Amino acid sequence: MSSASQQPTSINPIHLKNQFALRFVRALNTIKNQKGSAHDTQMHCRSRRVKIAAYTAMASVVGSRRSWSRAVLWKIRNRSRNQDLLRNKIMTNHHRRRRHAKLCMKRRNRNSIREDVYLNPFRYSVQESKLRKMVPGGRNMDSWCLGDEIADYIKCLAAQVEVMQTLVDLYTVT
Amino acid sequence: MSNRRSRSRQMGVSRINDDQIADLVSKLQQIIPHNIHATCSNKVSASRVLQETCTYIRSLHREVDDLSERLSELLQSTDTNSAEAAIIRSLFM
Repeated sequence: MSSASQQPTSINPIHLKNQFALRFVRALNTIKNQKGSAHDTQMHCRSRRVKIAAYTAMASVVGSRRSWSRAVLWKIRNRSRNQDLLRNKIMTNHHRRRRHAKLCMKRRNRNSIREDVYLNPFRYSVQESKLRKMVPGGRNMDSWCLGDEIADYIKCLAAQVEVMQTLVDLYTVT
Repeated sequence: MSNRRSRSRQMGVSRINDDQIADLVSKLQQIIPHNIHATCSNKVSASRVLQETCTYIRSLHREVDDLSERLSELLQSTDTNSAEAAIIRSLFM
């Protein structure tokens, strides 16, 4: 599971931006060509789809090299799979109730974990747990990898924001 | 019972210790855009760096949300075709 033999090398940032821009523009074209029914609901759905396309494109460029990118891809695939299940109504009412109960249990557990953190003797535990929540897949990450993962995640996020800003400027001018 | 389960799960994940903190702080100091209010650049407290990292990541997420909203609006209004996408692609390559 852990690629201890091969250290994940940092990607050339220009290459990263190019690859991300390519995949993201392709996804944008797909979204644009999808026909829609109602105008207002379509607005909200579209921006959500654009956002997911951006995160997916960035995570797929980084690939399986990083723990955070794997977590992003896994989450998105899982979410789309669940949505398909709901749409096809394969999930019966019984399954829906059980899933809802599981989600409530997760929310309750999350609140109880917050109390435990304040009793923890380690010095930076509060900020550290906040950081772990920010980075995808950060909750179960080993603390040795955490620093590298956070640094890489921030670099990729900043590149993503730069490319998206460039695209917005391009589209507004033309 | 759920408390015990969550606590054991927390203990399974190794908590960060001081050496790792120093490593993390040095890495993050290079990446995060330096704040104007930062007085002494040499000795910034670790908790402040961690806090600024959280704030920075949160602001990046918010920017992505905002930009994706603007992009979706622009997608609707402009009449882009595949030729324009090819132009954009050639600009980046």
